[in-house]
Amino acid sequence: MSPAIDDLETRLGTRWPAIHAARARTEEVVGQLSASLAEFDDASVSIVVTGSLGRGEATAGSDADWILLVDGPSDPGHAILARNIESQIQSVVTKDVGRTGTFAGIVASHELVHYIAGTSDSNHNLTRRILLLSESRALTNPIVRGRVIRNVLARYVVHDRSVQSRSGRRQNVPHFLLNDVVRYWRTMASDYASKMWERRREGWGIRNVKLRFSRKLLFIGGLLSAFAGELFAPQQLHEVENDEEYFLMLAELIRTQTDVPPLELLARVVLDTNDDDVADAIFSSYDQFLSVLSDSDARKALESVAFEKALETPAYAGLRDASQRFRDGVTRLFFDAHPKLPKLIRDFGVF
Amino acid sequence: MRPIGFSTGALAKGDFARGLNVQRTIDRIDAVELSALRDHELTALIEAIPSLDLDRFAYVSFHAPSKLQTLDEETVFELLTRLPDSWPIIVHPEILRTPSLWRRLGEQLCLENMDNRKTTGRTPAEMRALFDTFPEATFCLDLGHARQIDPTMTSALQMLRELGERLRQIHVSDLGARGEHLPLGATARQSFARVAHRVPDDCPLIIESVIASDAIERELDAVSDALPIASARAAIA
Repeated sequence: MSPAIDDLETRLGTRWPAIHAARARTEEVVGQLSASLAEFDDASVSIVVTGSLGRGEATAGSDADWILLVDGPSDPGHAILARNIESQIQSVVTKDVGRTGTFAGIVASHELVHYIAGTSDSNHNLTRRILLLSESRALTNPIVRGRVIRNVLARYVVHDRSVQSRSGRRQNVPHFLLNDVVRYWRTMASDYASKMWERRREGWGIRNVKLRFSRKLLFIGGLLSAFAGELFAPQQLHEVENDEEYFLMLAELIRTQTDVPPLELLARVVLDTNDDDVADAIFSSYDQFLSVLSDSDARKALESVAFEKALETPAYAGLRDASQRFRDGVTRLFFDAHPKLPKLIRDFGVF
Repeated sequence: MRPIGFSTGALAKGDFARGLNVQRTIDRIDAVELSALRDHELTALIEAIPSLDLDRFAYVSFHAPSKLQTLDEETVFELLTRLPDSWPIIVHPEILRTPSLWRRLGEQLCLENMDNRKTTGRTPAEMRALFDTFPEATFCLDLGHARQIDPTMTSALQMLRELGERLRQIHVSDLGARGEHLPLGATARQSFARVAHRVPDDCPLIIESVIASDAIERELDAVSDALPIASARAAIA
């Protein structure tokens, strides 16, 4: 289901086949994985996918980034469970997950909830926390995923408040969350440079295009979620009198965005504009990105392209051009075309 | 005053007579829930009701069996229809296998939200779906269950906002890792206080914390502190 994307296609009289194919592929794989993992259901854990499956953008070459999210008493059995889950997932999705160890294994909710910023936070923890918020989907026990997300958002929204303004207007853009969203985007960009150095540019091409598209989309989705109190708030939120209740409901409004794939979330905002060029620039280029990733030869070319020959490699060069259209479309959306985003970006985006 | 008291099951499991007797010694208790959580306890409790002295309780409810193991659904339903019409019958959704049967209870059917061991009735959306099926039913908010599903209490808040007109009573207890009902802990008290302003002053509080009889006063204090009535909240503010 991607109604806003469908509506945009109708408005523009076009179709983005790779986006639809990726959505369908996601549903197919998620369905297979959920069925095969049902035997591992447990009240205090949830098996959660992130990455392309979490975003609803799986292609034939996608791996399955997963975590065993534990929200309950520690149990040595969780390690055994994680090993069994890994075997089961590999029987459905054969491609190996990344080598950083971020995307497979046990993740305890305690660190996600309590180590937000501060000296105990880490690159891994930040990554897992923001991915849980921005591109995750439960294969088992969605209650646990939702519970952990609510607890994380409570830290960001309910327990971090500004001094109330003199006008009495409540803060509806949570700065703490917004800052972490921005921090994660900059961390991804810095990690790209770090891996270029550490891995001597091995696999740089595909990481580069992902940074230009899917990683940037994560940032966009995070911004839109942080701005939900301005962009998506129902009237009843503004009518809440009790402060505690208001911030709980604002956090819940943001939580509901975590169930929406970021591309769909972006489409909802693009629908608020009347600028078809912006819509076309964003979604046609993203469709091209997914189309290339779903082509095994092109994907291999991206994975092996030499840095020095990048612009001579059609798969990379074409996506680089498309990424510039994507960036331009998004920039116009945030800085010009949307009725609310330019003011939000000006007020909260930099200073 | 808000009616407050214990579930007989919390104080004495299936020994309802003892569960009533220990409450009679506490002046401020004026509500009770008669509990037949295990279906083999149901017949004896129903048959004993005419002989029970319940005069001191301004509010009485009845907790139906949570599982059907020795009795079938129709038998349980038939036994429950013998209860006074004014007593809400607290029911876990999973025993409602034949909706047309249970709809006959009208507003006496009081649906309780569930913990994470169950597959329905856990979230506001799942409760909404149940009330679509049982449109006349009333609502028992179990704060311990709601907090287990969502410790921020947003789900409890949503249920209070959306289902407030159906609200008939509130279950109060902490919950252990295996779903067992425990005395209120410090973090549970904090959590419950977050929604206290949405609990009407006349809504009965039924405590399900499993405690010894000498801990009753302490638990009453803990619950009253966590869920103060409006005048007490104003005094605190």
